[in-house]
This record gives sequence, C-alpha cells and structure tokens, in this order.
Amino acid sequence: MPEFLETTVGKFIFRVAIDRHYDGEGMWAQAEGSRVRIGLSDFLQQRSGDVAFAEIKPVGTVLAVGDEVALIETVKVNISLTSPVKGTVVEVNPAIDISPETINQDPYGAGWLAVIEVTGGQVECERLFDARAYFELMKEQAEQGTKNR
Amino acid sequence: MSDSSQRVVIIPCSGIGKTYGAVSREAAYAITEDSRPDNTQLVALSLLVLGDAEARAAVVNHRVVTIDGCKLACATKMVKESGGTVAQDFAVLDAYRRYRNFKPQGIAELNEGGQKLAHALAEEVAAVVDALTSGDEGGDNA
Repeated sequence: MPEFLETTVGKFIFRVAIDRHYDGEGMWAQAEGSRVRIGLSDFLQQRSGDVAFAEIKPVGTVLAVGDEVALIETVKVNISLTSPVKGTVVEVNPAIDISPETINQDPYGAGWLAVIEVTGGQVECERLFDARAYFELMKEQAEQGTKNR
Repeated sequence: MSDSSQRVVIIPCSGIGKTYGAVSREAAYAITEDSRPDNTQLVALSLLVLGDAEARAAVVNHRVVTIDGCKLACATKMVKESGGTVAQDFAVLDAYRRYRNFKPQGIAELNEGGQKLAHALAEEVAAVVDALTSGDEGGDNA
C-alpha cells in the first residue's frame, strides 16, 4: 500500500503515490527491475472522467517515449495515453478489458495499464518527475482547471 | 394496470448539464410517458433531495427503479436515504458499455447516439417493470 501526497482543490481530493515517477501528462511509472509498470495518476483519472472503454497496446508493441500506449474513452472525452518510458510491452492488465472502471477505482493499484520491458534493460527515470515535483505540477494543473470552469 | 398503488416508481439522475444525466432522464421519459405510462410513475430526484413528503411516500410505498447517470449513484442513494428500497438500479455508463455504437453527446439536446442509448436503456428498464408488475422480481441486467 503506497503512501500518498494529498491535496484538495475545490470539492476534489487528489492523491499522488510517493513510490513512483510521473510524466507531465499524469502517467505514472514504477520501476520493477528492468521493467516499468505504468498507469494513470489519480488526478488524470479524475480529470478524464469515468472510463467506459480502454484499449491498451498488446504485448510485443515497441514504444518510444511519447508513443500511444492506450486509448481510453470516458464519459467526457477520448484520450490518447502516451508511454512515459521507452521499451516493449510485456504485460497488459487483463482486468481493464473486463472492468475499465478499475482505472477510476484504484489508479495506483489494480488499475495499472501495462508493464514495459525497458530498452537496454536500464530504467531511467531522470526525465520524469519524482512524486513531490509532480505533486506541485498537478496542484497547478488542478487549480488552473478550477479557474477555467 | 389501473391500480396506481402497483405502479413502479422511476427515478432518473437529476444532473443538469451532464450528457449521461440527460440520457437517464430521456430514458425515464420514454418509459413513463411512452412505453409504460400505466405501470410507472416518474418521481423527480430533486423532490427527494428536498424532502418532499409526497415523493418520499412514493418511494416508500412503491417498488423503485433508479437510473443513475454516473458512479455517484445519487438516485439510488437518495431512495435508500428516504426509506425506500431499490428493486433495480441502472447506470447509464454501464448501458453505454453494452451499446458502444450509441455514443451519447449533447446536453440540452442529445445527439442521435444519445437518443438511441436512452431508448435501448428504456427497453431494459421496461423489461424490469414488466417483471415487477407481473410478480416476477425482475432481472439483474444493470
């Protein structure tokens, strides 16, 4: 069970798990040896809305940083989710196909999207935000979103 | 059915400005005004929220089917808080997962996909109403 940084913006509570890294779009990456498990941050899933369908790239897909790794359709929008790391998809969360709402219910746990074998076997998270840095960025994005409503 | 005490109360989402709320209400209108007007009664969720005595009596004394727009499930929660029992709860998001071709859009006026989704959902609710009013306790398709 990860620990979280937490903030309240308007009527929403957003949590950031401290045991992983993030890109600026709100995708998280958690190193597991030479592999990285990825998913959506709590902020990204809340901002996107209830997920109706999710299509994740299949095992074997080779990804560069920024390549589309999944497409989710929510009650609000269709979103192309991009990979925060470079590598090959080696595992896709089977629960998402049956219960895409898992992404909303448990974004840092059961709602993970895929596991990527990192190219070169070296997990490099330097270009990603650590949890504290992403937390500050996320707060800015959330507050900006509130002002724009 | 002419006995109003046997009517099934239909309570849709009250979310204004939300596409899924609009689908919920459109489905409720299709049942209560068009397909099963004699067997159903529409109760506005807002009346329950305001504590309206007549609305509360309706949910306590009748079988209730709720049509929620989102996972907050306000209609289902309010029926329970009002002392009623939900015979069957439907969710628009779940309906959309069953009818992916009917993508709803629009708020004040639903697009064609939204209208089709509302009517598909209304047919599912009508089947439950039929089961309830015929003595069968209905399906679990929500």
